[in-house]
Formats: sequence, C-alpha cells, structure tokens
Amino acid sequence: MSSRQIPRHTRAGIFIHWFNAACWFFLLATGVALISNPELNPLGAWYPKAVRAVFMGGGNLLVAHWLVAFIWLAVWVVYLFWGMNRFVAPFLNSAFTIEPNRDIQWMIKKNLQMMVGYKMMAKLVKPLGYDGTMPDQGYYNVGQKLAAQGLIFGALALVGTGFIMFASKYFLTAADSWLVQWSITVHFIAAGVTTALLILHIYMAAISKDERPAFISMFTGTVPAEYAKHHHRLWYDELEDSKPSEVG
Amino acid sequence: MMAKQLGMVIDADSCIDCKGCMAACKVANEVPGDNWRNWIKDGEMDWNAKGKRRMVFQPGNCMQCDKPTCVTACPTGATYKSKADGVVLIDRGLCIGCGQCIKACPYGARYRNDKLKVADKCDFCRSRREVGLEPACVSTCPTKARAFGDLNDPASPAGKLYAAQKDKAVQVVNAESNTDPNIYYLGAPGNKHWPVKAQMPSAFTFWKNVADPGVKVLMGLMGVGVLAMLGKQLVMKNDAPEEHHGEDGHE
Repeated sequence: MSSRQIPRHTRAGIFIHWFNAACWFFLLATGVALISNPELNPLGAWYPKAVRAVFMGGGNLLVAHWLVAFIWLAVWVVYLFWGMNRFVAPFLNSAFTIEPNRDIQWMIKKNLQMMVGYKMMAKLVKPLGYDGTMPDQGYYNVGQKLAAQGLIFGALALVGTGFIMFASKYFLTAADSWLVQWSITVHFIAAGVTTALLILHIYMAAISKDERPAFISMFTGTVPAEYAKHHHRLWYDELEDSKPSEVG
Repeated sequence: MMAKQLGMVIDADSCIDCKGCMAACKVANEVPGDNWRNWIKDGEMDWNAKGKRRMVFQPGNCMQCDKPTCVTACPTGATYKSKADGVVLIDRGLCIGCGQCIKACPYGARYRNDKLKVADKCDFCRSRREVGLEPACVSTCPTKARAFGDLNDPASPAGKLYAAQKDKAVQVVNAESNTDPNIYYLGAPGNKHWPVKAQMPSAFTFWKNVADPGVKVLMGLMGVGVLAMLGKQLVMKNDAPEEHHGEDGHE
C-alpha cells in the first residue's frame, strides 16, 4: 500500500470534532445523572447518586450541565459564522446530498459486508449477481451522511429543548409549563437517538478495522491516498482532477 | 423506634375561618401574588342538623404524604421526601419549575413560584423550624386548631393528640389516589373526599411508557449490531477486504 498521504481534515475541523466529542460526553454523563426517578433511571439509582456526590449536589450538577452546554454552543456559534463558507456550507452540502440509486445499493452491500464478512458475502450474494463492487462514494459515504443528519437534527432538538428548560428557571411562567414538560421528554429522546448513533460512529471509527485510517486522520488530518481511492472514490477523483497539493 | 414523621392533627371544630394561618404563612414564606401554601376550605351549612347548626371549615396544606405522587412525577428528584423527618421538600437548585409535580398533587398544594421560577409548597416552615420555631400557621392560630410535631413521638403536640384520638382522626383523601397523608383531622372537617384524582402529566407518562422503552430498544439494537460486527471482526480476522488491496471493482 502506498504511503502517500492526502489532506482530509483542517486543524479547525479536527479541533471542533474533539471539542464536540468532549462536550457531548460530558453533557451525556451529567444529563443522565440529572434523571433521578425510580421509574426512569436509565442506569439505576446508583448513577445519579454517585455523580451528584462528585458535584456536591444536584443543583451544582445542573449548573455544570448548563455551563458546558453554553460553552459548547458558544464555540459552535463562532465556528458557524467564522467557518460558514470554508467548512460549514461544504459539510452541510455534502452531508445532505444523497443519490438514492447509488447510496441505497451501498448501504445494503456495506451492511452485509460488515455483518457477514467480505468472503461470506461474496459467496452468498455472488450467485445473485454481486460482483464485489461497491458504488463509489464522495467525501462522506452514505452511512456517514445519514449519521451526520441524525446528529445534526438531534443536536438541534437538544439545543432547542435545552434552552426551553433553562429559560423555565429564568423567563417562563406557569402558563408555559406544558412546553417545559414536553421539552424534558423530547430532550431525553434526542439524547437517546444521538447516543445510539454515536455508539455506531465510535465503533466504525475507532474499533472497526475498515475505517482505521479515518480515525487516524482525526489526529493527523491526512489519509493514505489508497484509502481515499477505495473508500471515497468520487472525492479522490475530484482531488486528482484539481491536482491538489499533497503531503507525505 | 419509628422514624420521625412530622405532621399535623387539625381540629376542624376549632377553626373559626379567620384566615390567620393563611396570612401568617404568606408573610413568613414570602409567597407571591395569588399563591397560597395553605388554605381553609369552606364546608356547607347543614340546615337540617339538630343541635349544633354551624359552618364547618377544613384548614389544610401540603399533606406530606407517605406515598407522594408529586415525588413520583418529578424526573430529577428535586422533589423528595426527607428521610430525616418525612417532610416532602423541594431542592430549589435542582428544580427547573417544569410543573409536573404541581399537576400530580391531588390536593392542589403546589404552585409555581413565579419569583423563584420553581415549584413551591408548604414545608412546615423549614426556615422557622431550623431556628426552633413552630410553623407560622400553628403559632398564629388563635384557637390552636392546628397541632404540629412528630406523629410518632407521643410527647409532641401532634403525636400526643394523634395517639389519643387515633380512632377518631381521619385523613382527607381521594379514593382513587390514596397518598397516605400525614395531616389528620378531628371534629367535622366537612367533605373528606374533596381532593381530585392524582394526574400524572402526559409528557411524563409518554416518557415512561413510550420514550424510555423506545430509547432502550434502540440502544439495545445498536449494541447488538455493534457486538455482532465486533464478533465478526474478531472471528474472521483474515477476512481481508479485497478493495483495500486490489484495483478491480472500482474501475
């Protein structure tokens, strides 16, 4: 395999990724600990009890959750305005561009490959016309795009409902109680869905062998050209056509 | 020895509806606007009764229940029953004023404090008790209709009365939501069944019955999927992905 590396992530992109990960983990850990009710406890009563002991009380835990949420949001707002043209718009454009014919085929094949293995898949599906090819993918494959879409909508729901709950303690009145009550429930659902997506994201990136170069690129910013060629062929071809500056 | 359970034994016959308890409470606890931490409910005049023909009154406040539906409806544990003295308390730092407990209380004992932006209700004047005083409503009652103290301590005013009148003392409850209150009545408290049925807020019921199992199923499926992929990865170590090595299949 060639050791030629090509740039994939900017420093800003790497920073926002790990900053996001750290905030998300903290908000998840503290958010789950904010639930303390025998009928709802996601991890049992021991968890909120232990975390509240660390923060010296539920009130402090709530403030810590808000504080990190606001820092997370503030950095995102800066990133969105500062990087709209350079990073954000191209990312959104890429994440929300789906080509059904190509992408549905990719999803089915990729899932089968992941679950039964390449060889088994070839054996099982070959008689049905499988020729060992995967439809070419762009900067993101369709799995990454769907995960990104879910995470974006999940984050928007979390921010919106989170803000309503925060506002309840400072601006809202008794008449708005219904909105706050439903915000709590929707916040829980959005956190659950995004966490489920993150489990998959973390597995694919950090544990699955296939995407190991993508994981490494989240530190180095570059991926091997070979990896790009086979996993993100459309993106690779674009780069080749425009003859980008290469590292490595 | 039984755990401490602060409560009241209220002699309804002694209440003269002067509203002194309500005013004293409002001042002592800085209860805003139209909100009240305690009340006196009017009974109806029984014109057919022979002998003592008079109005009956039912003074009340948070019932400090043994099975509090407000605690059940609170998602964060901001509303809880104190282990030390059995009083239902609100952690104002943790409460965000969502109002689920307010809806769940069958006695209407809770309100949203629009100054503090949290749920609020009678706590037997916690701040006064901390400095050795009785609740304001008890201190101020001119006819001493309200007796306060540890119901399990025969030496306390409420405990003494409760021990002596156990058979006559009644709880005011809704038959469908018996929360086992720690406010007992003597005399004729009027309608003993005025509380409404405890209502769990719809957002809470949806969370408990739909969202919670739904999220758990989603997590479970994701977990099983990831474990299956991990298992496959560990078992089929030599299942080399051909695309990584060959050019074919992409041309």
